[in-house]
Amino acid sequence: MRNVRSSISSIARFLALMLFLLFAIGPLVWIVITSLKSADEIYTFPITYLPKIISFSSYQKLFSFAKFGIYIKNSLIVTICGSFGAVFFSIFAGYALSRIKAHEASKRLLLILYFTQTVPSFILMVPLYTMVAKLRLTNNLFILGGIYMVTVLAFCTIMAKSFFDRIPQSIEEAAIVDGCTSTQALYRIVIPLVTPGIVAVFSFAFVNIWNELFIAVLFLSSPNKMTVPVALNSFISKAGISWDVMGAGLVMALLPTMFIFAIGQKFIVSGLTEGGVKG
Amino acid sequence: MKRSPLKINIAYLLPVGVLISLVIYYPILKGVVIAFQNYNLFNTKNISFSGLENFKLVVLDQAFPFLQIVINTLVWVFLSLILQFLLGFALALLLKKPFKGRGIYTSFVFYTWAVSGFAISLIWSWIFNGQLGLMNDILLRLHIIENPIGFLSDTRFAMISVIIANVWYGIPYFGIMLLAALQSVPIELYEAAKIDGAGSFTQLLKVTIPYIWPTIISTTLLRMMWIMNFPEIIYGMTSGGPANATNILSTHMLNKIYIEFNYGQGSAIGLIIMISLFVFAFIYLSLGTRKEDRV
Repeated sequence: MRNVRSSISSIARFLALMLFLLFAIGPLVWIVITSLKSADEIYTFPITYLPKIISFSSYQKLFSFAKFGIYIKNSLIVTICGSFGAVFFSIFAGYALSRIKAHEASKRLLLILYFTQTVPSFILMVPLYTMVAKLRLTNNLFILGGIYMVTVLAFCTIMAKSFFDRIPQSIEEAAIVDGCTSTQALYRIVIPLVTPGIVAVFSFAFVNIWNELFIAVLFLSSPNKMTVPVALNSFISKAGISWDVMGAGLVMALLPTMFIFAIGQKFIVSGLTEGGVKG
Repeated sequence: MKRSPLKINIAYLLPVGVLISLVIYYPILKGVVIAFQNYNLFNTKNISFSGLENFKLVVLDQAFPFLQIVINTLVWVFLSLILQFLLGFALALLLKKPFKGRGIYTSFVFYTWAVSGFAISLIWSWIFNGQLGLMNDILLRLHIIENPIGFLSDTRFAMISVIIANVWYGIPYFGIMLLAALQSVPIELYEAAKIDGAGSFTQLLKVTIPYIWPTIISTTLLRMMWIMNFPEIIYGMTSGGPANATNILSTHMLNKIYIEFNYGQGSAIGLIIMISLFVFAFIYLSLGTRKEDRV
């Protein structure tokens, strides 16, 4: 009797897990399938669940007619500048916050960082844009990368701090007794120990910056500076969306985050649960 | 000369402090000021203080009925939140016990976390497409419907469609956070409950939920704030239409800024969002923590 019950419950569990999997990846698989159909097949009814002939014509259109290669390059410039910068600054700030934990100031600083996560970001976009426009620095990919860096910096710092919190201060003190200066102790002993944290911070920054649309729409004006999300946005016209090119564009937009997620998933998960703020 | 550790730490913190003050806090303060100004992109020579005029115009706007937008916001936020939470919690419970291939499985089900709001809106627009959408095709084949539904163009279906897309996105967040919390529940508590004769449902109610209650309170609150500030999905799927059926405060703000270029009214809506979030957070935390004491 007990065996019957436990096997029923494990079948139910298996079915539930399969339903979650289907719901999670179904829409993504559907976009990949769409991108591999010819335009004619996409627009025939009833729809086909698998392409009759696998066609890469959507991707050809995307890279020749829509010049998607340039947008990928732009997005990579912005994302790599922004996420490396965020990692660099948040390591030092996170370390410092973790080591002055005892001070009342540490709690206040953390609160200031947390607060930035709750504000609707659109309220700061226009003033920020006018500031940057006054300096004539709009339409510049490196400036945009810098702005992105700061938008993720608060959360990256919180995340980095939580990883440093796990490294006991006694390790550094021992290194200092052995003749290291405190800076050397940080570089040689502590930072190597928080490599998983650094991967988490980088992955988090990369995904968020790569995906961002509205700041880029505001700050980039010339078509050859567009990032991938801005380009996808420009594919939407009054006449509707050409789903062949859009499908291929979406797949290209998803690939880098899939790659990052595949590598950093374990670290992202621990970073999110430690830092615990952003969705 | 040896520098004091405190000074070094301050030096490490300084760049982040300066950058965040300059790029985040200063513009926020200016944005709050703009909410009380007559500020339109096409008329930047003529910016002046207008008191509460922007708030009045937003609330009394005939084309965008404020009451409807507030109700839509509440439906969007709470229905999305409840579904995300329940499904995320269920997923976390399913993943708690190890099984073969759990690592690769979680990579697949948690990946939607890394998809951008805008990409989600496009993916789901295609699925909910009125003529060629997958959803219509499945429902037609199963004979649940006889004619295709315009999910995003019909006022009856638009809100539920955007909420489904949002739930798809939000499950991993709760899955990740609650799974970590579940794994921290000491096994002895379950053993003690078993000795008392508690079944698995009673264990969930009497052991698991009370133990992870602080995580439930903090994750739901943060997620709620986040959903409220998250217009991307609706922007891409319906832009708040049809006939304001999916217009929420944050898409309304977005449209004011990006379409009407009316920054004053846009910022006023932003301030309304911020203040209501603070009030809500205060009430929620005081109720939530009292419940914790009771348990």
